[in-house]
Amino acid sequence: MRYNIGRVLLALLFLWMMTGNCLGAVDYDHLFRQSSDLMAQGDLDGALALLKKVPTPAPGEDAGAFVSSRMQAARIHASQKAPDKAIADCQEVLTLFPDNSEARNFVAALKEQAKPAWHTVLSDTIRFLPSLAKGALTTLLLVLCTMLVSPLGGLLVALGRISTLRPISGLCWLIIWFFRGTPLLLQLFFIYYGLPSLGITMSPLAAAVLGLGLNYSAYLGEIIRGAIQSIDHGQMEAAKAIGMSYGQAMRRIIIPQTYKRLMPPIGNEFIALIKDTALVSTIAMVELMRAADQLFNTYFNITALALAAVIYLLLTTIFTFIFEKIEYRAGIYEHR
Amino acid sequence: MSIANQPLLELKNITKRFKDLTAVNGVNLTVASGEKLVIIGPSGSGKSTLLRSINMLEEIEEGTINFEGREVGYVLRNGKRHPDRPQAISALRAEIGMVFQHFHLFPHMTVLGNVMEGPLTVQRKTADEARSIAIDILEKVGLSDKRDVFPATLSGGQKQRVAIARALAMRPKLMLFDEPTSALDPELVGEVFDTIHTLADEGMTMIIVTHHMGFARELADRVIFMESGSFLAQGTPEELFSIAHDNERIRGFLNRLL
Repeated sequence: MRYNIGRVLLALLFLWMMTGNCLGAVDYDHLFRQSSDLMAQGDLDGALALLKKVPTPAPGEDAGAFVSSRMQAARIHASQKAPDKAIADCQEVLTLFPDNSEARNFVAALKEQAKPAWHTVLSDTIRFLPSLAKGALTTLLLVLCTMLVSPLGGLLVALGRISTLRPISGLCWLIIWFFRGTPLLLQLFFIYYGLPSLGITMSPLAAAVLGLGLNYSAYLGEIIRGAIQSIDHGQMEAAKAIGMSYGQAMRRIIIPQTYKRLMPPIGNEFIALIKDTALVSTIAMVELMRAADQLFNTYFNITALALAAVIYLLLTTIFTFIFEKIEYRAGIYEHR
Repeated sequence: MSIANQPLLELKNITKRFKDLTAVNGVNLTVASGEKLVIIGPSGSGKSTLLRSINMLEEIEEGTINFEGREVGYVLRNGKRHPDRPQAISALRAEIGMVFQHFHLFPHMTVLGNVMEGPLTVQRKTADEARSIAIDILEKVGLSDKRDVFPATLSGGQKQRVAIARALAMRPKLMLFDEPTSALDPELVGEVFDTIHTLADEGMTMIIVTHHMGFARELADRVIFMESGSFLAQGTPEELFSIAHDNERIRGFLNRLL
């Protein structure tokens, strides 16, 4: 008898547990399945209504179904582009379980998504700008150095080309032939990586200015030669007729008249130069292109490249404006 | 030998060839100090080439140039004739003024700048000295009011007067005029002619190559008719016109001009 009573009590306890726990679990299971079916049918509101039936658990009660239902609701609201409601769903979870990482991450992601696109671009810009600005300064330094060196080199080469002394004109022809005939990239490699094997080493900046300077001297040389030869021959004769030497005539009469004619093609070359400095990134110089490339590879963020494009445009625009002003000033005697 | 008796310029056997064309063919010419010489003749007769040979703008193949009694322009080296050192040629040119048909003013300099340029750069005078020389000469050619403008704004006649002033600023001993009025509109010829006339009255030695018969008739001590690189006839204006009476070629040329 005792034995029977014990078995009955045990069975009753088992039954109670079954009805108390498993019945409820089966219930929610059924509910989740139903809501999934409704979602599959596209009835999101119906699914939401079902999920909301899962009540807030009392303290100590099992909260698994509650958390699952609210998070599912949050996902549905997010998919309905209702981030506020989705956040409210998560908040329900968080009031009970402030440390629930799923809800917290979801809220963070929703808040991130809720920011407008310009906000993201702006924060990227602020993040990238310091290193891009540093790169841009290096680019500017390269451009200014080359702009200083190459017109002088170009003038020398041009005067050499029109010299009646054959060895000098031949040498200058050779210089132009070589530096216009080979890629700038190759020249930079040769100077930076090749010359050290001949015992000549130099800093990346020196190598870059030398490479760009030689290359642009060759181009400007031909432009300057053309401009000098385009000046009416009578100017040279008139200068000689008052007793000027060839050098005086060139310096005082011929070359000053070339300035106006030189500005458009030289401006063109200098615009190309601003962009050609990007090639210097291959010889260990962190200029604008290299800086943008580094950011792009680190963050995989296209904003870095777009910003670099904007800075290049800014530089070329500023220089175009300056060249136009100089061109006008150089030709002022024709306007009056 | 006194300088007064010595000719300012003496050309002997001047010959200039362009490839197979002989532009000037063995010309001899003596110009006395203060003389006004006018060279006329058809286009391509070698007048301009002869004039340009005098200040070495053309290199001659044969002949000698004597200026103030010394041989100038060329030196013998290893039995071969070469142009003299550039400095010597520049020094010669500094003493001989030249005016071109197309003015060749320096467009990037003001009128004053053009006239100052020779004294300033060639004679290395100070800017103040050069300026006061230029101001005086511009006054003389009647262009003081155009001092600060650029040549582009001047008329052809004004340009040529500035060109004359530019040459005069060097205080030359001889002036060469290469068709000074040929590029001018007819109504502008007069002012340039007057300027040259004033200069002639002051005793400047000058050689004028021209088609403008006014120069020959009113200004010349001697007129030379040149054709095919040689002097066909020369003499005072009256003499030349009487020669023209008998010489069909000269008469034909003058008739076309008059």
